[in-house]
Amino acid sequence: MAVKKDLSIDFLGKHCENPFFLSSSPVGGNYDMVAKCYEAGWAGVFFKTVGIFVADECSPRFDMTNKDGVPWLGFKNMEQISDKPTEQNFEYMFRLKRDFPEKILVATIMGASDEEWTKLAKMCDQVGADLIEGNFSCPQMTSHAMGSDVGSDPKLVERYSRAVTKATKIPFIAKMTPNITSVEPSARAAAKGGSKGVSAINTLKSITNIDLENLTGMPVVAGKSSISGYSGAAIRPVALRFVVDLLKDQELMGKGVEISGVGGIETWRDALEFLLLGARNVQVTTAIMQYGYRIVEDMISGLSHWMDERGYDHVEDFLGLALGNMIPAEDLDRSFQILPAFDKKTCVGCGRCYVSCYDGAHQAIDWDEKKRRPVLIEDSCVGCHLCLNVCPVKDCITPGEVRWKRRPKKTPPVMQRQYD
Amino acid sequence: MSKVKTGDYMAEAVPGFDHRTAIEEAARCLLCHDAPCSQGCPAGTDPGKFIRSIRFRNPKGAAETIRENNVCGGSCAYVCPYDRLCEEACSRCGIDRPIEIGKLQRYAVEQEKAYRMKVLKAPRGPKRGNVCCVGAGPASLACAAELAKAGYKVTVYEREKKAGGVLSYGITPARLPQKVVDQDIKSVSGLGVEFVFGTQIGKKLTVQDLLDKNGYDAVFLGVGLWKSGTVGVPGEDLKNVLRAVDFLKKARESGGYRQVAGKKVIVIGGGDVAMDCATTARLNGADVQIWYRRTIAEAPADIDEIHYALSLGIGITTNFAPKRFDGKDGKVEFAEFTGRDGKSAAKAACDFVILAIGQQAEDLAALADGADKSAKGCLAVRKGGKTSLPGVFAAGDIVNGGKTVVEAVADGKTAAAAMIAYLEKKADRAKSVKPVKTAKKGVK
Repeated sequence: MAVKKDLSIDFLGKHCENPFFLSSSPVGGNYDMVAKCYEAGWAGVFFKTVGIFVADECSPRFDMTNKDGVPWLGFKNMEQISDKPTEQNFEYMFRLKRDFPEKILVATIMGASDEEWTKLAKMCDQVGADLIEGNFSCPQMTSHAMGSDVGSDPKLVERYSRAVTKATKIPFIAKMTPNITSVEPSARAAAKGGSKGVSAINTLKSITNIDLENLTGMPVVAGKSSISGYSGAAIRPVALRFVVDLLKDQELMGKGVEISGVGGIETWRDALEFLLLGARNVQVTTAIMQYGYRIVEDMISGLSHWMDERGYDHVEDFLGLALGNMIPAEDLDRSFQILPAFDKKTCVGCGRCYVSCYDGAHQAIDWDEKKRRPVLIEDSCVGCHLCLNVCPVKDCITPGEVRWKRRPKKTPPVMQRQYD
Repeated sequence: MSKVKTGDYMAEAVPGFDHRTAIEEAARCLLCHDAPCSQGCPAGTDPGKFIRSIRFRNPKGAAETIRENNVCGGSCAYVCPYDRLCEEACSRCGIDRPIEIGKLQRYAVEQEKAYRMKVLKAPRGPKRGNVCCVGAGPASLACAAELAKAGYKVTVYEREKKAGGVLSYGITPARLPQKVVDQDIKSVSGLGVEFVFGTQIGKKLTVQDLLDKNGYDAVFLGVGLWKSGTVGVPGEDLKNVLRAVDFLKKARESGGYRQVAGKKVIVIGGGDVAMDCATTARLNGADVQIWYRRTIAEAPADIDEIHYALSLGIGITTNFAPKRFDGKDGKVEFAEFTGRDGKSAAKAACDFVILAIGQQAEDLAALADGADKSAKGCLAVRKGGKTSLPGVFAAGDIVNGGKTVVEAVADGKTAAAAMIAYLEKKADRAKSVKPVKTAKKGVK
């Protein structure tokens, strides 16, 4: 019998059956799609952003990056908010909440003025949305009164947050843009305006590729292209960084602001990373565009197994456990070096560690040409572990001897043991 | 000079995946909609689902998917003819080559062991009834597991010392390591299924005894085919003319068959059993030649098994059938063959001959007296594996005349479902009889 744990967790006072949500995007843009995603097991949806503005989209509108034959490392889209009439979207949301009352429906909205934000908030009220998310972060709007241009201006974020929170009692979440030096000023402004939650992050402004035939960016739209949002696995590290910044912010945490993590999540492990930092749930789009709603099955199963293995009964029990271990660079213990250990038996003799160490690090590996094996020059090695990261054989190069720069400590430093 | 592989009889022939290489292979999977591989498995295993689990970093979920569906999932990962089942159906064939589904299944089952998972659990509470399975091969194991999962008390009677049937006694360990078979058996015994070894049904204890005297509500027969077929030519009784099942069993029981080391061995047959005999003899140091009466294209053996035999340097001569075996002092020294064309003839010197020309049922009258037989001399069954004897079901080789492990598992599961339906009906009847009696009493 499959292991299944209680994955439920509250978010802004709403009971969610698990922490897995669709983010506001094409994957949750009408009734049938959302109904199907609910049935697949997602706890809820951040419905595709609704505005008074109805988008007129270009074609084609997507591109991706790849490396060494692996597609979709990152994904670029040029879509804006919903291209359906405002009323139509709210009608979908009304029926979804009526037919799936136990699922969490978050209405994501975007206005261009106080009046529009207020009007949209009231419509959310009418359809019974559980939560409202304000999209302050779409980087490819055709109007500068909306999207990430708003999100990078704390004054506008506060003003529009207030327009919503005055119009309705439904808890409000501000969705942040990463196209900014630091996200905290905008998040604080949102909290000042009455928002209770923050979603981070929206897409990164990007140019994925240049078409060498047409001499323009991709996707090629009538021979031209534009800078637009980058998402997918490639941006997860950026998202994790912004989430940590938010969760470490005293002002936000003091106000009890709750964080929803977004960016490059494909597996239960990706999701767990956000939860371990303290996000209360995660949102997914790009992986669904690539693989479909079914990926939630392994998120539920994988997280259940991890909890079972670790003896956790509730998601709350491990939320934020990794946050305290993220510290400023100046506070890291720099008193030791961990030398790499080479397993000569599993080594296949490719010499990649030798090449990388010579050309990219500290010339600390000698190459035994006869045996085709690396030989560590301990005096030159600084313990950077470039060799370990470049080695193609699992567990061939591993962390080895600890060399103390100063007086040795009694206990060895905590080190990574599991390498995928 | 071609490079021939060498190996050890007890060592695994093909290394498996580690976490990294498994994910690399799973990443080649196209994650098809309505995955064709998942429709290609006779036992209903869902490769599309377990490969997706591996791809999305959930190896434990993958192990669950396999084990929940197939108690012999570990063994099947090694011996399934993937190339003509799920891997043939793989959409990736249209691009380059199929996903190595068998090897990914093996990886997932290895994770079950590594993480000490106990996937299958029998329901708690009192047992619904008492049933038994005769034989402990794949069909019986599958049937026993299904019955135990449904809440029945299950006893398995096995005449050998170990469970597994053909898995433990009939296949080269290089192709199917015993530890893999043991892991499968453990998943069945973990359900509370009791094994009684060294007891052959049909001797002192008959099937009818099991029903009438031992109090079993139903009996499943999955005894397999253990009588070697004979060619019917002179010299078959000479010393060192061995029967495939005896040879393989002895090799497995003794951890090898060193008597053939340095000797000339002729294997006769073209099925998987013939390949197993040939590779077993080769890995024990023999100089082996396979002789088959038809062509490679007609050979029932899996092409991977033929490749494996060839890779070990075993030769295959086709279109020659044995005519007679000759020897000195009662010991075989020559095998003579007639060509299929009726004109060719051959004579080969040898120290051993192994006859791998199909297996047959043993004494069915002793096992299940009065049960209908099929034309092949196997047990005849109706839908769901019902034999002509009430309360007696059968599946696996003893019914189908010798097919794959995965088909035995599939049929064992089907029979279990039919047994459950039969037992439920029987229980309902027993219940409905009682109130009538009390009503009569009331009338009195």
